[in-house]
Amino acid sequence: MSNDLLQSSQLPGVTRFQWQQLLGPIVVVVIVAYAASSVSASFAFLTEGTLALLVMVLALQVLIGNSGVLSFGQAAFAMVGGFATGLLTVPVRIKENVLDELWEPLKMINMGIYPSLVIAVAIGAFLAFITGLFLMRLSGLAAGIATFAVLMVADNVLFNWKLIGPGPQVMPQVPKFGFIDESIAIAVLVMIVVYLIGISRRGRLLRATREDALAARALGASIWRLRVLFFTASGGIAALSGAMYAHHAGAVSARDFYLGFTFTTLAMLVIGGASSVWGAVVGTILVTAIGQLLLVFEGGVTLGSIEFTLPNGVRGLVIAAALVVILIWRPRGVTGGKEFRLPFLSRT
Amino acid sequence: MIQTILDALSYGGLYGLAALGIGLVFGVMRLVNFAHGELIAIGAYLLIVTIDLGLPISISIAVTGTAILALLMEFSVFKRLRLAEPSVLLIASFGVSVFLQRLYEVIFGALPLSGQIAPWMTGVIEFGDTTITRGSLVTIGLALVLLGGMWFFIEKTTLGLQIRAASSDFQTARLLGVRSNRVIGAAFVFSGVLAAAVAFVLVTQRGSVDPLFGVNITILALVGTVIGGLGSLQGAALGGFAVGTTISLLNSFLGNYRIYTYTWLFILVIIVLLVRPGGLISNKAVKERV
Repeated sequence: MSNDLLQSSQLPGVTRFQWQQLLGPIVVVVIVAYAASSVSASFAFLTEGTLALLVMVLALQVLIGNSGVLSFGQAAFAMVGGFATGLLTVPVRIKENVLDELWEPLKMINMGIYPSLVIAVAIGAFLAFITGLFLMRLSGLAAGIATFAVLMVADNVLFNWKLIGPGPQVMPQVPKFGFIDESIAIAVLVMIVVYLIGISRRGRLLRATREDALAARALGASIWRLRVLFFTASGGIAALSGAMYAHHAGAVSARDFYLGFTFTTLAMLVIGGASSVWGAVVGTILVTAIGQLLLVFEGGVTLGSIEFTLPNGVRGLVIAAALVVILIWRPRGVTGGKEFRLPFLSRT
Repeated sequence: MIQTILDALSYGGLYGLAALGIGLVFGVMRLVNFAHGELIAIGAYLLIVTIDLGLPISISIAVTGTAILALLMEFSVFKRLRLAEPSVLLIASFGVSVFLQRLYEVIFGALPLSGQIAPWMTGVIEFGDTTITRGSLVTIGLALVLLGGMWFFIEKTTLGLQIRAASSDFQTARLLGVRSNRVIGAAFVFSGVLAAAVAFVLVTQRGSVDPLFGVNITILALVGTVIGGLGSLQGAALGGFAVGTTISLLNSFLGNYRIYTYTWLFILVIIVLLVRPGGLISNKAVKERV
């Protein structure tokens, strides 16, 4: 009971590879994404942004779901990923005009979106590795606060240092993805990676350290090494999410990845269920759907002769309330922390 | 120079008050309360909305309202999470914090609400060729009085003794007959009162309030509580004081590089946490047992 949110409800046997656990969430994401983006251009735009958020929620899931260590700092790596891909893909002419204080070599670089995504992930993972080496010695509250401090440092540096970015301004003219299929493909790829990492030998070992640190150590698991590894993976995926967001919005700034972003993605993970990929998917879709519905009401809806208008802010209010309610009544999230399964196929 | 020192002291006192408010609640229930900032914000809103009734009435309304909101938080949310572990409580308080921010936005609007509370505090006093602001003197005074009052309450009264007992070992305190819900309720009320004091100082300085009014100081005070030593009330006040004075001094000495104050501050925080994960004044109840 005391550990509900961060503890898995799955029996050890369920951590074996099962096609339905992987294909289920993928099929749902692909169908929902294509269905939503076929509605209208603005829905397609929303879907693309949501896929970037999904990747961020998966980054959180890899770390929090498997290790039980709470991190408020992964948005820092998303910020780094967004900045990296922005600097690598914004046309040289724009950089010379808008970002005149930028370091010269950075002004000259220019490449396509895909090589740049790879580099962004590498930079994010590298920085996460360095940070993780230090921070993953901590756990519980100290880890929560220390990772939060990482976010504050990243925000403060990237918001002010004009040698490596736009400073307080927005970096404009980041090339956009051409098709929704690109974001869908990347999200699916990340889901596969996250699922495979989770059920790998090290993933199971890390979950063992979460359930019972002493017993896992007796089995020879180094908690610190495992956590650093997963922190690094999480940082790389977070950077990918930030980069996807930059190529989705066509612009990037430090404040895109600050407290609001951290809260939204964390809420998505907790509402869906932190200990499974399926939970991350459900949480992301659910929170986005509720938010969209309320956005429509904020704009005003006419039912018969009565017009309803919700004041601004109600959206965040409802999502925050949902997070608190879930923590109280269903701490494992709406999925109960279980992986996807078809009721009539499951043998357990 | 004198102004620099006074500024540092008044910042320290202010952050110490905020950190003590967070530390009080943490001590009795292992909750790092992100939503403390929204207690500060409601205090400021109440002050600005009711200032026409006169300062004394306005202040009493603000103090009462803030304490009530603190109790409401406890009854509606945290009471139901008694058995949850600290990191779950932290996420929950993050949720409460965002909830209240949006609620303020719905009620008072997203734009800042401005008003003059105690304008005499922005004035200066001249001593020969040095001038000091009245605000920093008042802040230091207020901090001294409140910290002294809290010290008296915690060291000399029965309820204070119970809070101390619950902070150092909650289960044993319960077994010895400390009524846990009453102690926790009291901690929330006092944290609300301290939040109102912080709100008063901040709102006189800034002259306006918006939904995110309390976020900044809460983040810093929270960090102060943690590095000061979670679970120790002196540690919390000292940690907050340390963070406040550090910020003020960094701001004075970094000159043009003061925009990077937070970078240095938070790097220091990470180092303190790495060297002493339990905080500078550590308490055995916070340590993990492996």
